[in-house]
Amino acid sequence: MNQTVSNSITVRWWYWARENLFNSWLNTILSIICIVIIYNAVWGIFSWAILNGIWEAKDRRECFAILGKDEAGNPIQGACWAGVREWFNNIIYGRYVKDEQWRVNLGISILIVWMIPLWVPNLKRKFLIGFGAIGLYPFLASYLFLGGERSWFVSFMVSLAIITFCYNTVDWLGVKAFRVSLADSLRWKMVNRIFAEKQHTFALMGLFAIIAVMLAFLIQDWILVDVSWVRMGGFHLTLVISGFAMTVGLPCGIILALGRRSRLPIIKAFAVTFIEVFRSVPLITILFMATAMFPLFMPEGFELNKLVQVIAAVCLFTSCYMAEIVRSGLQAIPKGQFEAASSIGLGYWQSMGLVVMPQALKFMIPNIVSSFIGIFKDTTLVYIVGMFDILAMTRAMGNDVPWRGEFHEPFLMTAIIFFVCCYTMSQYSQRLERKLSGENK
Amino acid sequence: MENQTAVSEQEGHVASALSSEVIISLKKVSKYFGDFQALNGIDLDVHTGERIVICGPSGSGKSTLIRCINRLEEHQEGDIEVTGVKLDENLKNVDQVRSEVGMVFQSFNLFPHLTVLQNCALSPIWVRKMGRSEAEELAMEYLNRVHIPEQAEKYPGQLSGGQQQRVAIARALAMQPRVMLFDEPTSALDPEMIKEVLDTMIELAESGMTMLVVTHEMGFADRVADRIIFMDEGQIVEQDVPQEFFNNPKNDRTKLFLSQIL
Repeated sequence: MNQTVSNSITVRWWYWARENLFNSWLNTILSIICIVIIYNAVWGIFSWAILNGIWEAKDRRECFAILGKDEAGNPIQGACWAGVREWFNNIIYGRYVKDEQWRVNLGISILIVWMIPLWVPNLKRKFLIGFGAIGLYPFLASYLFLGGERSWFVSFMVSLAIITFCYNTVDWLGVKAFRVSLADSLRWKMVNRIFAEKQHTFALMGLFAIIAVMLAFLIQDWILVDVSWVRMGGFHLTLVISGFAMTVGLPCGIILALGRRSRLPIIKAFAVTFIEVFRSVPLITILFMATAMFPLFMPEGFELNKLVQVIAAVCLFTSCYMAEIVRSGLQAIPKGQFEAASSIGLGYWQSMGLVVMPQALKFMIPNIVSSFIGIFKDTTLVYIVGMFDILAMTRAMGNDVPWRGEFHEPFLMTAIIFFVCCYTMSQYSQRLERKLSGENK
Repeated sequence: MENQTAVSEQEGHVASALSSEVIISLKKVSKYFGDFQALNGIDLDVHTGERIVICGPSGSGKSTLIRCINRLEEHQEGDIEVTGVKLDENLKNVDQVRSEVGMVFQSFNLFPHLTVLQNCALSPIWVRKMGRSEAEELAMEYLNRVHIPEQAEKYPGQLSGGQQQRVAIARALAMQPRVMLFDEPTSALDPEMIKEVLDTMIELAESGMTMLVVTHEMGFADRVADRIIFMDEGQIVEQDVPQEFFNNPKNDRTKLFLSQIL
């Protein structure tokens, strides 16, 4: 009887509190002060956002009217969520054509489904899945988002992306649900019937290419309505820019880092100059250069759309940061590893790809992810050169006539969106780190 | 009586080795690290199937010598030819030589992110262009030869030093090299693990592999070597069959060295 009481949660809580919060006079005072501060802050936000929150109203004036005044005649503070609700679509999709917004949803969903296997434990070929996504998804996504007429090359790449996506998804779902791998059974059939084992990867690629050509013919008449890049905006634009920056930045960074370590003086000089120049200039300057000054250097009539210029600028910036991270990772690999790789006959690219990079990337993961998080937040700077990203849209709401002056609510909402994204990234990196460090023990 | 047969066997080895083709030849090879001359006009011919032990005080250029043979270090003067291919600026030649020459390092240098089996299967897959299953079979065969097939699925970090060095030997052998270089393979090991590595090397020597071994294990040298080379200050001071080398050294520096370590 006595034991159950002492084990009950309240009692354990009380013991914990007495041990940790009230174990001396000074601690007791500090604890009480902290509790009061936290209580006030949390209660203040809670009553403002939830208790006094207004969810239905046609403009800000109506919000104030509903809230009314207290006995002393001061207006009651409360969040006017009605405005955020009305603007939510704009904050997420920018000015993207309403009837075509399903394309954005589809594109983002495909990416998420494509990436799920990277989270699922005990799946093989994660590396290939990630690589396929980086290489092919941009084609599919850019066509989905922009639409319009497409060249044969784009048709082919879009088809290839669709096939690879379906193949990956069927494969990992099969493995999880029925313990049957499509990839393994395909390979096994080919290995034994038609091809020697070492050719099977090429055979599989060839098969994909043939199906992609056929699919490209089939979807020839399937043409999406053209949506101009000018209409892209909001959170969608932030995702597009930072997505490009991450997927282009890492491979370019690896190449730059290898260039910087190269023994060939010209390559080394080029890499060093490139990295140092772009790393020592603020992102805003690079953005201005790309959008305002770059066209001045170009011949008359040469026009590049601003979205491409901005993406290119952010990619350059990210590459240089990645290059320095990769270089520090490479320096952590002992010289003996390079020598051992050479001594068993591996060439430069083989030793890099099979021996050095896989080890170095492990050291780099925390830095890479924190840099990704930084870039993700930094892309909000593009609103300075006139792109309507999530931050620009959030500000635009407070300047809209019915909701004039309403800034707290949309910014809180934007903050929550950023927090969710960045926290997810950091959790994923911690998982990856734990897993990789467990592997070598 | 028994001793005598051993001696005559050994002389037989030398004779057969000398009559076979030259697999490594160094002519007037010099190597500098800045102002310091690490190798000073080395002349050396190694015949197929020959087992050579290189010894000498530290800093005498033993390691540099064998590292030049697979071009982990570049020499500045003289010519090195391995399996008929000349080592020069041409990277193709370097890659070709490296794929014929296996190397075992003092600090093992296994790849920590790969399992033991993957470590050994790497060069069959990527250098010899075998299929995965074929390569893994081959790797298993060599792990059997160094007596640790049961560790195949472990990572190098889970093994003892002696086991790691035997994996390193299997990894080098899996490339199916024609020459094996050993750079102080037992110096980083605890005393009780030295024997297992030396035993593996003795088995390898008995199978007829051409070996160049830098080591301070004089017992091993006496038992296995066809020829012992003594180096000092970047030069080959003395070389001879073990019997002569140990019992009747001619050079003063050799005598001093032997008196210190025996």
